[in-house]
Amino acid sequence: MRLKHVFVSCLIASISSIPIPCNANTGSALLFSGGTTSYEGSAGGGITPWALIGGYSSKEQINGTANVQLLQLGDYQLTTAGILVGFYDRVELSLQRQSLDVGDGVVSKVFNLLTDGAVSVAPGTVIEQDIIGLKVKLFGDAIFSENPYLPQISLGLQYKKNRDFNTDLPLPSGAVPLPSTGVPQLVGATEDNGTDIYLTASKLWLGGALGKNVLTNLTVRATKANTLGFFGFESANDDSYNIEFEGSLALIPTPNTVIGVEWRTQSNRLGGLAEEETIHDVFIAYFPNKTWSATFAYVDVGSLPFESRANGFYLSVTANW
Amino acid sequence: MKQIQSILPKCILIVLLATSACVSTEKTSLYEEIGGRETLEKVMGLAIHRIYSDPQIGHYFKGVPKQHLRKELSDQVCELIGGPCKYTGKTMVASHKDLNISDADFYLLVEYVQQAMRDIGLTYAQENQILRHLAPLKSQIVYL
Repeated sequence: MRLKHVFVSCLIASISSIPIPCNANTGSALLFSGGTTSYEGSAGGGITPWALIGGYSSKEQINGTANVQLLQLGDYQLTTAGILVGFYDRVELSLQRQSLDVGDGVVSKVFNLLTDGAVSVAPGTVIEQDIIGLKVKLFGDAIFSENPYLPQISLGLQYKKNRDFNTDLPLPSGAVPLPSTGVPQLVGATEDNGTDIYLTASKLWLGGALGKNVLTNLTVRATKANTLGFFGFESANDDSYNIEFEGSLALIPTPNTVIGVEWRTQSNRLGGLAEEETIHDVFIAYFPNKTWSATFAYVDVGSLPFESRANGFYLSVTANW
Repeated sequence: MKQIQSILPKCILIVLLATSACVSTEKTSLYEEIGGRETLEKVMGLAIHRIYSDPQIGHYFKGVPKQHLRKELSDQVCELIGGPCKYTGKTMVASHKDLNISDADFYLLVEYVQQAMRDIGLTYAQENQILRHLAPLKSQIVYL
């Protein structure tokens, strides 16, 4: 109850910019240093993790975040929410539930294709995925490094479990033409879960661009996921890890905003309907104080089945505790 | 020919002006840009005033006269950002040894200095550039 009260008063204070003191202690580390929350639940940008540990904990503290995110991509809509705990500015543990709404137009077209036109109307469906994330800071300090060029390096794991790998797709009549075959199997995936392993480096260049701070980030990921795991993992003729690359470049023009661009390559293991392309985004994040932050972005996922230009707006809010 | 002759001196003049403009902007150090020693003394004075009454980190400064610390810090930052000063105080390691200063304490102090720079009127760009010179000192301050 008290926490709720503090949160609301902080929210009001930050929105109205009246300096009401916020007593909520969300950790000692500097503003921005906990990053925002990626769609997979790890602290970072929107589509890629950063080496920074989520939350504002210093080496003596445990702090965390909760997030909700929304991405609209034509006939697809991704909503995701989760929690994260940062331990002693060293370890980050996160839990994220993702829910991808697939419109009836897309599912109808899939059936139409698979049945040679025999079935051309089908209701939409939802593909859910859970992600358990673990990130450990190996060495370095992205902001306060003795060596001006040495980044902070972290190693992370993301265990992903697709919850709708074999969820039936019923027709409007209630009949199920392909029992126990969910969208991931329809497009060719052979596994419902996979573990991504990534190594990420982040560096904040204080006063790096005309006096403004610049954040650079590079991530290398080993993955078996098809379209981020929404279309399952592996395929009949490729069950090995692929190496993918991700990056962020951000500018901090004012003490409360971060603007930047991101990219992330994908394997395109399945091809065909589930063809994967490199994901890009442009974002602006607002950090009014250490209580919460909001990120607004334009994301281009490349292509999704029957959505050759899968791009749209993204909104995410992270609350700190 | 006549045309070229009249253009050439103009070109040389433009090039010279451009070069001298570059040189003169490079010569202005961060120290001069922020308003020199006077500004640094103001920033440090304000930050120290607030830090001394902070319940979490104020106690570290017991027995250290405010004016002394103000001079030392101003000297040190002045030297780090290209000013004509020489820091003659104790080394960072010597002055923080055995105080067991935590990570949280360090961040709090940084925030006080950042806020003081903003309150005195430094731009965000100037603040960031000063922090760039101070950031590498963290390992000589925390948990010694």
